[in-house]
Amino acid sequence: MSNHDYIVVYFDDEVPMKQALVRLTEKKERIIDVRTPFPVHGVDRILGMKKTRIPIGGFILGLLGAVLIFVFMSWCFVVSYPLIIGGKPYFAAPSFIPNTFEITVLFAGVSMAFAFLIRSKLKPDIRYRPLDEKITDNMFVILVDVNGGNTTAEKIREILSDIKPVEIRESEVKNNG
Amino acid sequence: MDEHFIFTKGYRNTLALIVAASLLAALIVILAGNPSASRIWANILLNNQFFLGISLGAAFFIAVHRISMAGWHTVIQRLPEAMTGFIPVAFILMLIIYFGMGSIYEWANPGIHDPVIEGKRAWLNIPFFFIRMVLYFAGWIILVRIMQKNSDKLMTSMDLKYDRNRKLLAGLFLVFYGITVSASSWDWIMSIDAEWFSTIFGWYVFISMFVSALSFIILLAWLLKSRGYLTLLREDHVHDLAILLFSFSIFWAYLWFSQYLLIWYGHLPEETAYFIPRLHQYKVIFGLNVGVNFLVPFFGLVRSQSKKNLDWVAIIAFITLIGHWVDYWLMIMPGAAGESSRIGILEVSTTLLYSGIFVFIVFRYLSQGSLIVKKDPFLEESLDYES
Repeated sequence: MSNHDYIVVYFDDEVPMKQALVRLTEKKERIIDVRTPFPVHGVDRILGMKKTRIPIGGFILGLLGAVLIFVFMSWCFVVSYPLIIGGKPYFAAPSFIPNTFEITVLFAGVSMAFAFLIRSKLKPDIRYRPLDEKITDNMFVILVDVNGGNTTAEKIREILSDIKPVEIRESEVKNNG
Repeated sequence: MDEHFIFTKGYRNTLALIVAASLLAALIVILAGNPSASRIWANILLNNQFFLGISLGAAFFIAVHRISMAGWHTVIQRLPEAMTGFIPVAFILMLIIYFGMGSIYEWANPGIHDPVIEGKRAWLNIPFFFIRMVLYFAGWIILVRIMQKNSDKLMTSMDLKYDRNRKLLAGLFLVFYGITVSASSWDWIMSIDAEWFSTIFGWYVFISMFVSALSFIILLAWLLKSRGYLTLLREDHVHDLAILLFSFSIFWAYLWFSQYLLIWYGHLPEETAYFIPRLHQYKVIFGLNVGVNFLVPFFGLVRSQSKKNLDWVAIIAFITLIGHWVDYWLMIMPGAAGESSRIGILEVSTTLLYSGIFVFIVFRYLSQGSLIVKKDPFLEESLDYES
């Protein structure tokens, strides 16, 4: 993203913030981001965000891991280096199950973690860039797009007049990246 | 907000019809089909255990949510409470086993002189067996009753002292339940194969109880919802019930496999004696047990969207409920009834008879008060709950 002008709306509680979100989405204002000190339920529903597809990736990769390790262990113990262990047949399927389970969990977990990092474009040298200087850890913040100058702080203040946000201000965010 | 379940004549007649028809069918099979005595007694034990397990699982459900101060379940709290009403009835039905001890339990026969059983005589003798049974039931009935009384007092007085007591009592119940549920499963099920033992068995039975209780709660919620009750039950609550069913089905499979793997690997004759007849003579039921109780809830509920659809979750719950009946069947029948064990009209009719009585008790309890606990401190939380 290039340099962007935002209108930053501050709240000190989640309830008015959610009301404001509902109001702003009704008025078809474009909301860039919502920053909260802790996860707030229902925000994703109000914003109409698409459901994450990460679990599907986890499921498929988990299945892949299960099949891979089971085939690999079968190959090891039956074809490559057959050994009789504890009087069991070479293809001792029940004894492969614990490892299959572990590798399934490993594949699913690690693949979901990496899928999340890749999708959110997170890599080791990423620095945190505050979108506004006043966004701290105790405020609930909505960032509204200026929409090419059509949306001003005045307009937002009018829309949210009865909800009474703590502060509304326009802010130019310098993009260092 | 105020919902009252009406136990209509229609429900009563249907239940009475089920009970009468299944009783008749069972009697006809017993008189005409001439099944072995051990099969009849094992049937009674099996259904006692199955329906008692649903009741105890429901009591566990309440206790574990109270001690963790969970609030989401308050909307459906009356359902597990109603299900605990069967415990006193199960007590009477369990005492009847006294007359069939010799048919089910090898160790209860006076003529047995097996060195292994002789070594276990201090635990496995008929007087102590029934002393323990009375102790378990006394603890369960009294603790569940006190929990219920205390909870009712909280509703009427709104004194937060009772809320503290509620947590304390739930903790007491959980400790007592944790010990007795293991011990009772050794007594009633594991001692059928008296020479066999498995240290994980108590937990295995406990999980079967909890999963069948969860399935029953879901089915009851579905029934009430489809009849227009439980208007406050939303898909968020269904989602959480389904998560519990899903995860505890996986946990059941974990315990099932832990028990199987160690016995299969160790290959010791005194341990494999349990699995060999079950695996070789009842291959289909053995496979069905694992498939139905693990694969069906796993693949059926793995998507979060499918966990939110009450109709779909109820179908899965119905399958797992039957699956856990089959699980108990595999634990009890091959050991107790030997060659004569099968799933026939006798088994089906006895189960229907028990379920008729069970559902009657649940419905009668539900019809006595509001379906929603109006004054529970956690009700707000449950109404606002988002999964």
